[in-house]
Amino acid sequence: MELTVNIEKQLRNFTLQVDFSLRDEVLALLGASGCGKSMTLKCIAGLEKPDKGRIVLNGRVLYDSEAGINLKPQQRKVGYLFQNYALFPNMTVAENIAFVAGGSRAEKQRRTAENLARFKLEALAGTYPHELSGGQQQRAALARILAADNELLLLDEPFSALDSYLKWQLELELTAVLQDYHGAALLVSHDRGEVYRLANRIAVINQGKMEAVHTKQGLFQSPDTLAATLLTGCKNVSAARRLAADRIYAEDWQMELQVLGQVPENVRYAAIRAHFMEVKPKMQENTFAMDVVNVVEDVFSYLVMLRRQGTEARPLRWELSKDEWRRLKEPAVLYLYFPPEKIMLMER
Amino acid sequence: MEWSPLIITLQTAGAATVATFFLGIGLALLVVRMRRFQGLADAVITLPMVLPPTVVGFFLLLLLGKRSVIGKFLLQFDINLVFTWKAAVIAAIVVSLPLMYRTARGAFEQLDPNIISAARTLGVSDWRIFWHILLPNARGGILAGLVLSFTRALGEFGATIMFAGNIPGVTQTMSTAIYAAVQANDYDLAGQWAVIIVAFSLFFVLLLNWWLARQTKGGALWS
Amino acid sequence: MKKVLVWIVAALSLLAAGCGSEQAQPEQKGGPVELHVAAAASLTDVMQEIAAAYEKEHPQVKVVFNFGSSGALQQAIQNGGQTDVFFSAAQKQMNALEKDGLLSEGTRRDLLINEVVLIVPAEGGKSLQDFKELTGADIQHIALGEPKGVPVGQYAEEVFTSLGILEPIKAKAVYGSDVRQVLSWVETGDADCGVVYATDAAVSKKVRVAAKAPAGSHKPIVYPAAMLKDSKHPEEAKDFLNFVGNDDNKKLFAKYGFEVK
Repeated sequence: MELTVNIEKQLRNFTLQVDFSLRDEVLALLGASGCGKSMTLKCIAGLEKPDKGRIVLNGRVLYDSEAGINLKPQQRKVGYLFQNYALFPNMTVAENIAFVAGGSRAEKQRRTAENLARFKLEALAGTYPHELSGGQQQRAALARILAADNELLLLDEPFSALDSYLKWQLELELTAVLQDYHGAALLVSHDRGEVYRLANRIAVINQGKMEAVHTKQGLFQSPDTLAATLLTGCKNVSAARRLAADRIYAEDWQMELQVLGQVPENVRYAAIRAHFMEVKPKMQENTFAMDVVNVVEDVFSYLVMLRRQGTEARPLRWELSKDEWRRLKEPAVLYLYFPPEKIMLMER
Repeated sequence: MEWSPLIITLQTAGAATVATFFLGIGLALLVVRMRRFQGLADAVITLPMVLPPTVVGFFLLLLLGKRSVIGKFLLQFDINLVFTWKAAVIAAIVVSLPLMYRTARGAFEQLDPNIISAARTLGVSDWRIFWHILLPNARGGILAGLVLSFTRALGEFGATIMFAGNIPGVTQTMSTAIYAAVQANDYDLAGQWAVIIVAFSLFFVLLLNWWLARQTKGGALWS
Repeated sequence: MKKVLVWIVAALSLLAAGCGSEQAQPEQKGGPVELHVAAAASLTDVMQEIAAAYEKEHPQVKVVFNFGSSGALQQAIQNGGQTDVFFSAAQKQMNALEKDGLLSEGTRRDLLINEVVLIVPAEGGKSLQDFKELTGADIQHIALGEPKGVPVGQYAEEVFTSLGILEPIKAKAVYGSDVRQVLSWVETGDADCGVVYATDAAVSKKVRVAAKAPAGSHKPIVYPAAMLKDSKHPEEAKDFLNFVGNDDNKKLFAKYGFEVK
C-alpha cells in the first residue's frame, strides 16, 4: 500500500500545499481547524479537485493535472470515514453495508455478514441509523467502508462528535481495526493525543502549508516549527535570540537560558512544556525566582502561572500534580528550574 | 352537463405533472450542483410562479407561436401548438414547474452532503445514488412538489386561455369552463365547476397532509 | 416510498395517455366540417344560440367556439392559432390582424353595435332618468370600469366629459377591474348605479336600464367580424358569417342588447 500526494489548491484565505507519501502505515495530519486538513482528504477521495499536482495510489494515478487525469470518487477505491459517519438514513445497518458491497448476490451477503460480525453489529443489523448511538454509528460506518473494496482509509476527525468516555472506547476499537486492516490510513485530527496514540508518523499542516513529516516521537520531543510546537500542546513559547553556542535569551520571559547542544544561528522561538519545569530549594544554574501570579485547580492537577520576579515578563504555565502542589504549601515565590535538555528551539 | 372539461383538465394536469416531475427534479439537481450562475438559473425557473399567468401565456405565444424560430421549425413537421391540447399541457407545465423545482431543491438541500459523498467514495454509481439515496431521503419534499404542481395545473387558467384557447372538447378545462359559464351568464354551471375543482384540489392537498403527518408523526409547532 | 411514487407517476401517465388518442384528426373525410370560431367573451351566450340554429340548418357543419378576451384571441391568432372566423369586441384587434394580412379580403364587416347605459338595481333602485342626475346629493357611489384598462370605463369617461360632469363624478366613482364586476356591484346595491354596456344590462335580471348615453356622447362601439385568410373551410366560414348577420338574428341580438348594423 503506497500513496503519494503532491497537490496545490487555492482556498479562500490561503493556498493549500501538501506533499507527502505513506506506505503501509497510519499517517496523521495534525492542524488547527480550518487549516486545510479535511480539504486534503477530500482531494484524495476525489470529492474536491485540486488546482494542480498529482495523486498516486498503489501505482494507479488518481489525479494528474498535467496528464488531465481526474478519476471519479467511485473509481478511486478510497474509503472515507466522515465526522458524522454519513450512514444512509433510509437504510438499516445491514442494508447500508449490503448496498455498497460488490460482487454477486451471494458475495454481497457474505461480505455483509462478515463485516456485521467483525464489528459486533449482528444484533443491530435491522435498526436504522437514527436509532444508533454515536459509537454504534461509527462501527457501522467502518463496517460499510470495509465491505466496499478500498485500498486506503481516510479518517476525518473520527472522534470529534463523541463524548470523552465513548471516544476512548472507540479509539480502542479503531486501533484494533487499523491493526487488522492491511491497507494504510490517513488520519486527520486537531487532537494531539489522538494523533499520538493512533498514528505512526505525523505531518503538521499550518495555514494550508504542510511542514515536514515526523515520526510521532520526533515531533513531540523536538518540533521544528512554532505551529508544530503549539499543535503538540506546548503551552509556553517565547521569542528567543542566540547568545552563544549553548545560551539563548527568551524575550517574552526575560530570561537567559542554558540549552543543550548547538543553538542555530537563526533561532527565533524557545519553548518548554508545562510539566517539564522543576521546583528547586535554592538558586542554581537555569533557575529563576518566580512570583506566583495565579493558581487554577484542574481535575487532576494544578495549573500555576509564574512570572520572573521583578519583571513585567509574560507568565509561564506550570502544571503539577495536586499532591506536589500541596507539599509546596502554597508559596508566593518559588525557584523554578528549566532543564536545558527540555528547552525546544525553533527557527520558524 | 358536459363532462369534457373535467376529463381534459385531469388529462392535461396529469400529463403536465409527469413532465414536471422529471423536469423539476432534474433541474433541481442541476441547479444544486451548479457553481456559477446558480442564482440566475433559479430565477429563470421560478419566474413563471411570480409572473401573472397571462404574461406567461403571452411569452409562450411569442416563444412557440408560428412566428417564432421554434414555431417555424415545428411547422416543418406540420406541428402547430396554438389552440391545441399540447399547448394546454405546455402551459400547465410551465406554471407548475417552479413548484416542483423549488420543493425538490429544498428537499435536496436539506440532505447531509456527506451522505452523497460517502456513497460516491464507496463506489455507488450516480444513478444508484439518485434512486436509492437522494429520492427516498427527499421523498417528503418531492411528494409535496408533486401534489402542489398537480393542483396548480388543475387550476391553471391565464396561460392556458392565452396559449391554448377555450375550445370546448379540445382545450376547455374546468377553469376556462368556469370563465365561459360566467361570460354566458350561466352562474349555476360556473358554480358546479367551481365546487368540483375545489373538491379535487382539497382532496389532493389533504391526501398529502395526511401522508406527511403519518411520515413525521410530529405534533404542532406552536402549542 | 418508491412504490408510492411509481404508483403516482404511473397513474398520472395513464391519465395523460388518454390525451393523445382523443385528439384524433377532427376532419375525417365525409365527417362533419368543424368551423373554428373565435369570439369575444361578451358574445358567449348569443353566439351559442345562433350556432345551435345554424347547425340545425347545416347538419354537416359543427361550430367549435373559442371564447376569450379579444386581445388574447388576436395574439393567439397572430401566433398561429387555427381559426376560421373571428368576432372581435373592438376595431383595434381586427385592425391588427388586417395589418398583418391575416384577414380574407372583402370579408371584414362591422356586425354589431353596442351602447353605453346607466343602470340601477332592479329593486329599490333610485329613479334616475338622465346621466346628469348623477351629480345629485343622493347618489353616493357610482360603479365604473377602471378607465385605464377597461374599455367601458373609457366610454363612460367620454360621456361624462361631453356632459361636462366628469370632475364631480370622479369623487363618487368606484372602479371595477372588468365590466362584470361593475355589474355585480350594482346588482347587489353596493353601488347606487353604474355604467355598463347595454348587452351586460340586458342579461342581468337584477338591474334596470335607467338611461342610455346621449347620441354622439362617445365613440361608436362596434363589433367587427371577418374570415381568416388561412381558413380551412372558406365556403362554410363565409356562409356562417352571412348567417350571423341576417335579419332573422336581429331579434336574437336585440334580446342580448346588441344592435345589428
